[in-house]
Amino acid sequence: MNSRLAQLVAEKKLLICVGSGGVGKTTMAASLGLRSARNGRKVLVLTIDPARRLANALGLNSFGNTETKIDLGEQEGQGELWAMMLDTQTTFDALIRRSAPDEITQQAILNNRIYQTLSAHFSGSQEYMAGEVLYDIVESGRYDLVVLDTPPAKNALDFLEASARLAQFLDPRVIKVFLGPVEDRSFLGRFMMSSSAVLFRLLGFVFGKEFIGDFSEFLKAFEPMYSGFQARHEAIVALLRSNETVFFTICAPNEPSIEVARYFSKELNLRGLGKGATIVNQVLPSKGESLDPNALLGQAASRLQSGFPPGTAARLLARLGSAHTRLRQHAHIERKLIDDIRSMMQRDDEILVEVPRLEGEVHDLAALDRVAGQLFGETKLEQM
Amino acid sequence: MAFIDLIYGRLLLVTGKGGTGKSSVAAAFGRLAAAQGRKTLVVEIDAQNPAMKAIYGVEPNYKPLEVAPNLFVANLNWMTNLSDWVGRVLPGGRMVKMVLQNPLIQSFLEVAPGNRETVALSKIGWLVDEFDLVVVDLAASGHALAMLEVPNTMVGLFPSGPIRKEGEKALELLGQDSTHLVLVGLPEEMVINETIETFEAIQSKVPQLRIDAVLLNKTSVPSLTAAEGDLLQALSKEVQSEEANEMLWAGRWESELEEATHTAQVRLGQELETKVISIPRLSHEGGPRQLVHQIAAAMARATHSEQLP
Repeated sequence: MNSRLAQLVAEKKLLICVGSGGVGKTTMAASLGLRSARNGRKVLVLTIDPARRLANALGLNSFGNTETKIDLGEQEGQGELWAMMLDTQTTFDALIRRSAPDEITQQAILNNRIYQTLSAHFSGSQEYMAGEVLYDIVESGRYDLVVLDTPPAKNALDFLEASARLAQFLDPRVIKVFLGPVEDRSFLGRFMMSSSAVLFRLLGFVFGKEFIGDFSEFLKAFEPMYSGFQARHEAIVALLRSNETVFFTICAPNEPSIEVARYFSKELNLRGLGKGATIVNQVLPSKGESLDPNALLGQAASRLQSGFPPGTAARLLARLGSAHTRLRQHAHIERKLIDDIRSMMQRDDEILVEVPRLEGEVHDLAALDRVAGQLFGETKLEQM
Repeated sequence: MAFIDLIYGRLLLVTGKGGTGKSSVAAAFGRLAAAQGRKTLVVEIDAQNPAMKAIYGVEPNYKPLEVAPNLFVANLNWMTNLSDWVGRVLPGGRMVKMVLQNPLIQSFLEVAPGNRETVALSKIGWLVDEFDLVVVDLAASGHALAMLEVPNTMVGLFPSGPIRKEGEKALELLGQDSTHLVLVGLPEEMVINETIETFEAIQSKVPQLRIDAVLLNKTSVPSLTAAEGDLLQALSKEVQSEEANEMLWAGRWESELEEATHTAQVRLGQELETKVISIPRLSHEGGPRQLVHQIAAAMARATHSEQLP
């Protein structure tokens, strides 16, 4: 039983899963959430991954921008599991509706061409919205635990930086430049006005006059909300740094994925963010010993052979022998990589968990329960 | 056109869900093209952990670096890319440069949404002029899609000016007959779901771009007869020792991979109108560079069998 891991899931309020793609990050996020819910907490699993994978893993056809309750079946003492996927556009619009001071500002923003493009099409807006929604949900206190599944590696840091980028983008000083010259009759004011006019004209030259016009309009509409973004950014950073928040790094036992895990580990330290555990997923279950198929299975196979065409048992045993040799080779390479990262983790007294590769796809709750069993060190391979 | 003929284009975009081996596939295309004497660049866009570093043992930089005859690698680091772009794209006057050096404007350019994508696509256009073939190892599918959408967005957003021109140029580049896109997938249910979603999203959101093939990586060929499979199941129910279980697991694991390959091929064939190229699961044992060589060889072979009647 991995008690340190169990303690994190029982006590923390926010778990953030990072790692490269294709390593089962979404599955791990769902399993961690499921286990915590089985143990009595009210949990939300939130995915911002552009592909709708969590729905698959939870056996749902789809779930959208709303918090959806997952049917956990009848079991004594369990909590609740909820899941949600971010739809950037809807979330962005909701943010505007909530923060705009009045109906006119609200409509001006929602109908602005630049706003519509920014909120729907640009990468980064999804990461930004994740921070927003995450903050709202955690602060609302509706859940004991929120588990966040982030997009794959090259962008996970974008997620950490998204709110900083928005605050920088909407820096009031930059905005002033784009809003163009403002009437000011003092000497200094007139000087500033003329240099600002030059600047404004030059920007029109670079970005096109029409765009600058649209953009000024967009910024004017946003003006009453500027200070809010900076404050919001600071609140999100504080949430990520809080000691109720931990980051889980998920990786697979191959070189590039382990490299990404190392990189995250370093970055989390640099940023002073709380580390939960590193999970090496999809580990091949081999002890590494050379095994003889005839010695192990010969007797049983010839006993069962009777119902099959002649030679079936012999051919199967030969086939198993070579399959096992390949398994051992793969497992051997994996072992070296895992031992490497394990010694690094041990040095820093960090938690490293190995989860063996499962048979079959993980796309229902029973499979997620089995993954959780593995994560928390309760099941052995032969019981699976 | 045969699959391998993609190396005779000018721009080859490779994407796919994370973990599918798209970087290895991009590198394999680079190797095959360079072997044909084409001056080839394999480029990543602002990669924090450039895959080409693991493959070629050198840190790819903004400036293309030759790692083998005719084969170059690069990583379009954002800040260098931006200053290069500003120098090349924006109207030349001293005043404009001065304004752009203003720290406020710099910080705005740095974070303005869509800028990274625009700047990277402009640069890729220039690289295409410098090389016979540019292979782009794009980000994982969701973010690659976001990037490919940007030129259409830019053209919609900027009615005039240099940025609109860059958007138009990028659209023209994406629509060229010599521009190709390959999606890399794996024979796993969730990966196939995402591959199909990405394929359809690119078709509807970037209609200029043609998707030439889905490359199904790490596939397995059926090895057990039905009777052998049944006997394997029967044995699995009976035998209890840990070692025997491990051996049976190895057999079931391979059978499962074979079945998953078949399912994936059928689904892709039914749901997408595109060529599906299957590449076998290969050993990582020789390290990442050796793996790229093996994938390249398998890609060349895949072409042969495809040309047979």
